[in-house]
Amino acid sequence: MERREVSFRIYRYNPQVDRHPFYDNFKVAVEKGITILRVLNHIKEHLEPRLTFRAFCQAGICGSCAVRVNGISRLACTTQVWDVLTGSGDDPILVEPLNNLEVIRDLLVDVDPLMEKLKQNSSWVAPAIPEQQMGCKEHIVSETELEVIDSATDCILCGSCYSECSMMGVNRRYISPPVLLKAFRMNNDTRDTIGAERLQQVTADHGLWDCTHCYRCVEHCTKKIAIMEGIHRLREEALERRMTKSEGARHAQAFFDDIHDSGRLKEVTLPLRTKGVAGSLGMIPLAMKMGLKGRTPPLFMKKIPDIKHVRELYRKLEIRAVVKRHAVRQTERLQ
Amino acid sequence: MDHSFDIVIVGAGGGGLFAALEAIRTNPLATVAVVSKVYPTRSHTSAAQGGVNAALANKDKDDSVELHVFDTVKGSDYLADQDAVDYLCGQAPLVVRELENLGAPFSRFADGTIAQRPFGGTVKDRCCYCADKTGHTILHTLFEQCLRQGVKFFNEFFLLSLEHDDGQCQGVVAMNMRNSSIEAFSAKSVILATGGHAKMYWNRSSNAAGNTGDGQAAALRAGIALKDMEFIQFHPTGLRKSGLLVTEGARGEGGYLLNRHGQRFMSRYAPQKMELGPRDLVARSMETEILEGNAFTSDAGSYLELDLRHLGAEAIKKKLPQIRELCMHFEGIDPIEEPIPVRPTAHYSMGGIDAGMAQTAVRGIYAIGECACVSVHGANRLGGNSLLDILVFGKRAGQEAALEAPQRKARPVSPAAVRKAADEIKSYASHERYERYGTIREEMGRTMADKAGIYRTEAKLRSGVEEIKTLRERFRHIRLFDTGTVYNTNLFQILELKNMLDLALCVTATALERQESRGSHYRNDFPVRDDQSWHKHSLCTLQENGDIRLGTGPVTMGKYSLEARSY
Repeated sequence: MERREVSFRIYRYNPQVDRHPFYDNFKVAVEKGITILRVLNHIKEHLEPRLTFRAFCQAGICGSCAVRVNGISRLACTTQVWDVLTGSGDDPILVEPLNNLEVIRDLLVDVDPLMEKLKQNSSWVAPAIPEQQMGCKEHIVSETELEVIDSATDCILCGSCYSECSMMGVNRRYISPPVLLKAFRMNNDTRDTIGAERLQQVTADHGLWDCTHCYRCVEHCTKKIAIMEGIHRLREEALERRMTKSEGARHAQAFFDDIHDSGRLKEVTLPLRTKGVAGSLGMIPLAMKMGLKGRTPPLFMKKIPDIKHVRELYRKLEIRAVVKRHAVRQTERLQ
Repeated sequence: MDHSFDIVIVGAGGGGLFAALEAIRTNPLATVAVVSKVYPTRSHTSAAQGGVNAALANKDKDDSVELHVFDTVKGSDYLADQDAVDYLCGQAPLVVRELENLGAPFSRFADGTIAQRPFGGTVKDRCCYCADKTGHTILHTLFEQCLRQGVKFFNEFFLLSLEHDDGQCQGVVAMNMRNSSIEAFSAKSVILATGGHAKMYWNRSSNAAGNTGDGQAAALRAGIALKDMEFIQFHPTGLRKSGLLVTEGARGEGGYLLNRHGQRFMSRYAPQKMELGPRDLVARSMETEILEGNAFTSDAGSYLELDLRHLGAEAIKKKLPQIRELCMHFEGIDPIEEPIPVRPTAHYSMGGIDAGMAQTAVRGIYAIGECACVSVHGANRLGGNSLLDILVFGKRAGQEAALEAPQRKARPVSPAAVRKAADEIKSYASHERYERYGTIREEMGRTMADKAGIYRTEAKLRSGVEEIKTLRERFRHIRLFDTGTVYNTNLFQILELKNMLDLALCVTATALERQESRGSHYRNDFPVRDDQSWHKHSLCTLQENGDIRLGTGPVTMGKYSLEARSY
């Protein structure tokens, strides 16, 4: 069995005694196949009993043990040491708590904000079947209908995407990827009845339209869920439901119109169309700074030469959207 | 800080959450709190892969509640209480459909009805499932519905004691794990839903780190009897290295068990049901193969193979995706290309708090799910019946507690109970103490695996009892080295160890007492079932001096009378 000595550099912080967080170094002889969680358990058992982290099922399904390993959020119990060795294998492996959540102690963070957001955004099915008739008969769900939400139900709320999300990094009030994923899962469940209401909640400020499409949530999902697909689908649904009042929706609409018209984005008027006159006033200082640095976008834009092809793409997408809208209406009728 | 509720539920797995949901739906005026040492979605219900049994007859049109009852009673080796089994199986279609109505993403047949697959020890295909993540999706569905109903959660609170006043429920004492504050939760009714205790086998266990029987131990100390503690189920297919579980669904879908000669050895032990014999029989057959030298050998111990390759890549990816992932993460093999190395692992505790139809001997205190012994599983549980157990009895306890609450007088937890808990915790940090948590826990795990494993004898069990007694004695000197009050995991480990040791004594002592073989309890020195002397439940209670007292109780019979059990 392959075996080597590996250094671990672990984030430590006990608010009761430490003024600042610090890093502790441990050297552990590790066999190939050993996971980060096994190493943490070993350290706790033999080297530093005070090391604090969460772990429960140890099988990748409960979501307790998410931490950052070499800066990337992942489950300690399914991450093998061999897979995260860097350099010639001699660099220490860095283990830190998740980002964007308060540290309670060492690697352990406060997950309450995530739970609270789930609650605020109706992250549940509000069933079509009345309370008194619960359990009397099955709601028929086709295999195709189930397939739409199937992978979203894999989510274990481990918080990895919450920690990796770049929007969360600048705004803790942001709704966050797992809550959007839940909204997608619920809104596409044929048994649910409050799609419109839920969409109102998730499109409020700090919501759906704030996602910057950085795809970090998808890249680091411990269950390999295509979270962005869900977010895109929710945005489409918001537009389909004519929920176009928010800045985000208007911003998307402006992109849509510009590309259709000329194949190019008219950045000069974008703030006006997204934020309105009043909202745009606040951006004047920024515009002036940009002007000084010579970064002002051109005032006039020529159409791209083969705009025909772009419009042909639009036409094809339009047909698909009509088909989809039809499907949505059908489901609503059924309910 | 002290709290007062109509109903306090301890444990936030599927059973606890369904109880909370049902309590609020039954009596919207009742105040309900769920107290749990982990966030609800972390609970071990999430690890249940295979499914939940219900005679929906979506697959086999001639399936019925009666057949489900028969399979369960026979599977229990006739030790289950048949009134409880009737209720369990009768309610099964209702609760499964209800969960479906509430949003659980069950796998579907082509006609859109809930899909069902074969499972061990049953005559019909009645196991309803969500791929191989059934427990996970059920747990999330229930958690979501609890959020919808505004259930009050106390996450990361550790149960310290269960309080009652002369047979009337008072509530519980628990510790806020974030700041070590010890708080009283007074309640007219308490529902214990704290999960199983098979983690006492430590490395030879499929259980989560926290399945330490906290509710059972608290009940035992509060004078409530534990029932049928000798019955620990070994799951046939734990992964060789980690003990992690490969669902029975893998065999349900057609997987083969092979020894090193490439033989499907189950043909020698259960020629008809083959790999889908009941768990006790399959686990024992595997252990026999290992003992007779027919197993593969490796650094990580002897093992047999679970071969899924003939099912094809597509079926494995669609129906057993998590299993494939588990094999890749923890064994480094892809079951599409290689057989999975497996061996039996301690998995489920059939025994638990004596609670006929979920009600304990103390008015207002209920126990449900794996921490309870209702008893629907008797000497051996069927796969797919544990999720069912938590749903049916969780719901029932929630209902009963909610109806009872307005009529019961509140009897608050006494300040003395809080002080007593605080004193105990303070004592662990005493400088005169010297024993280490790690050593005692290691020895406990080894003792349980070696002395109270799949094959048991008087000699082994006798020394097992002695060793556990010694460890309990040593525990009195255990030292808490971390004296901080912010999330002190060392303290929780010590408290969990105390719970496991008390329960380990119950398991070994009752196993020594039961001189017969029944279900999961197999005695080499008494290899046959002895209905004359042992068709009864075992009971244990704690005495003042810390020893346990053993007793027995009658089995409730029904439609099905004793028969030899063969598959």
